[in-house]
Amino acid sequence: MYSTATRPDTSYLLRKLHSFTGILPVGAFLAEHFWSNSAALVSAEKYNTVSQELQTIPFRLIVEWGAILLPMLFHGGYGVYIWLRGKSNVSAYPWVGNWLYLTQRYTGLIAFAYIGWHLYTERWLTHGRSTYANVAADMRNPWYLVFFVVGVLASSFHLGAGIWNFLCKWGLAATVKAQQAAGRLGALVGVAFSLVGILIIISFRYDWHPFSVYLPNR
Amino acid sequence: MAETKQVAVRVKRQAGPREAARWEEFSLKWRPSMNVIICLRDIAENPVTRDGKKTTPITYDSNCLEEICGSCAMLINGKARMACSALVDQLEQPIRIEPMSKFPLVRDLAVDRQFMFESLKRVKAWIPIDGTYNLGEGPRVSPEVQEKGYPLSNCITCGNCLEVCPQVNEHNQFVGAAIISQVRLFNMHPTGAMNKSERLAAIMGPGGIQECANAQNCVHACPKGIPLTESIAEVNRDAWKQALLGWLVG
Repeated sequence: MYSTATRPDTSYLLRKLHSFTGILPVGAFLAEHFWSNSAALVSAEKYNTVSQELQTIPFRLIVEWGAILLPMLFHGGYGVYIWLRGKSNVSAYPWVGNWLYLTQRYTGLIAFAYIGWHLYTERWLTHGRSTYANVAADMRNPWYLVFFVVGVLASSFHLGAGIWNFLCKWGLAATVKAQQAAGRLGALVGVAFSLVGILIIISFRYDWHPFSVYLPNR
Repeated sequence: MAETKQVAVRVKRQAGPREAARWEEFSLKWRPSMNVIICLRDIAENPVTRDGKKTTPITYDSNCLEEICGSCAMLINGKARMACSALVDQLEQPIRIEPMSKFPLVRDLAVDRQFMFESLKRVKAWIPIDGTYNLGEGPRVSPEVQEKGYPLSNCITCGNCLEVCPQVNEHNQFVGAAIISQVRLFNMHPTGAMNKSERLAAIMGPGGIQECANAQNCVHACPKGIPLTESIAEVNRDAWKQALLGWLVG
C-alpha cells in the first residue's frame, strides 16, 4: 500500500523555489534597495555615502550574483515559463483574483525588463560606482524618467500581489478571512512601495530633499 | 402576451471530436420556471431550428436536475455552470449553450470527464476500510472535523472549477481544485489520514498542486459553495511540510 513514491515532482520543487525566491531574496532586496535609495530624500551626500557603503561591501561580486542576480534571473525566467503554461480568461471570468493573475504576469515581465535596463545603466555603465549625479543625470531624460516610474510601479505591484500569492500558496493564510487579510497586507505593501519609489524619483529629478531638515547644521 | 413569449437559444453542435462545429438556433415556447435542461428537452421533443429546418436532438449529460449529480455542467452564455440550475428568466437571450472546453468532446454538449476520475484515483480519494480480517470499529470523528468535512464532501465532480481555471489547459495537466479539496477531505478523516503522506506525494506529482497560481476562479465557479481556496491553502501547507521538512524532522 505504501509503494507510492514520496518524493515530489521536480516541477513541484521548482515552483516552490520560484515562489520562495520572490520573497527571499528578490522581495527583500527590493525593500533594501528602496530603503537605501531613500537616502536621496535626505541629501545627495547622504545618498553617496550610503551607496558607497554598499559598493564597497566585502565579497561584493559573490553577493551580487548569488543573492541578487541569479535568484532574480531564476524567478523571472521560471516566471515566464509559468506564464506560458497558463491561459488567462479574464474576459469570460472578470473576477478580482483572475485580474491579479493576469496583471501579475504583465507586471513581472515589465519589472524584469526594467531591472535589466536599470542594471545596465546604473550598474554596468557606471562600473558599479554610480553616484547621485549619475542617477540625477539619467532622470533628466524624459524617456528614462517614464521608464523609472513604470518600473517602480510594476515592481511594487508585483511584490504586493506576490506577498498575497505567497501567503496563500504556502498555506500561511489558509482561511478565507486570513486570505482577505493577506490581500490587504499585499495591497498595503504595493501602495507603500509605489509611494516611496515615486518619492525617490521626484527627489532625484527635482533635487528635492525633504528630510534634509534632519541634518544638524544647515 | 405570455402565451406567445418565446425563448431564443443558440446551441453549439458537433457530431464528434473530429467533426466541424456549427451553431443552431432555436425558438422555444416559454414556460414558467424554465431552465436550460428544459430547453434541451423541448428541442429533443421537436428538433426543428428557428428557420424551420429539421435537425437532430442535442446530445448532453444530465441526471438529477437538482445540482447534485454534477453531470450537466456546460458553458451558458460563456460561463461554466450547471444547466439544471440555469434559469431561463435570469439569462440574457439568445442563450448561448456550448460544451465545456477543457475536457475532450464526445458529441454536442457531452464531454468526457474521465480525467477527473483518474485524478481522484491518483490521490486515493477514498478511505480504506477493507482488510483481510475484521479491522474493527474506526476512530470517532470529532464534530469539529465533521463540520469542516461536510461541505467538502458536497463536491459533485462537475468540473466547473477546472473549466474556469487558467492553469487547466492543453499545455498543463493540472488536476484542478476539486481533486485538491478531496485530498484535504480524506486526509482530515482519522482513518483516511493513514494514507495522508501518499495522497500528499501524489498531489505533488506532475500536474499537482504546484500548478495552482491562485487566480481563485474555482471558488467563484463552484456550484456547491465549497471553500476550494481554503482547501488548496491547507493542502499546500501539509504538502510543503512533507516535501521540504520531511527529510529533516520525519
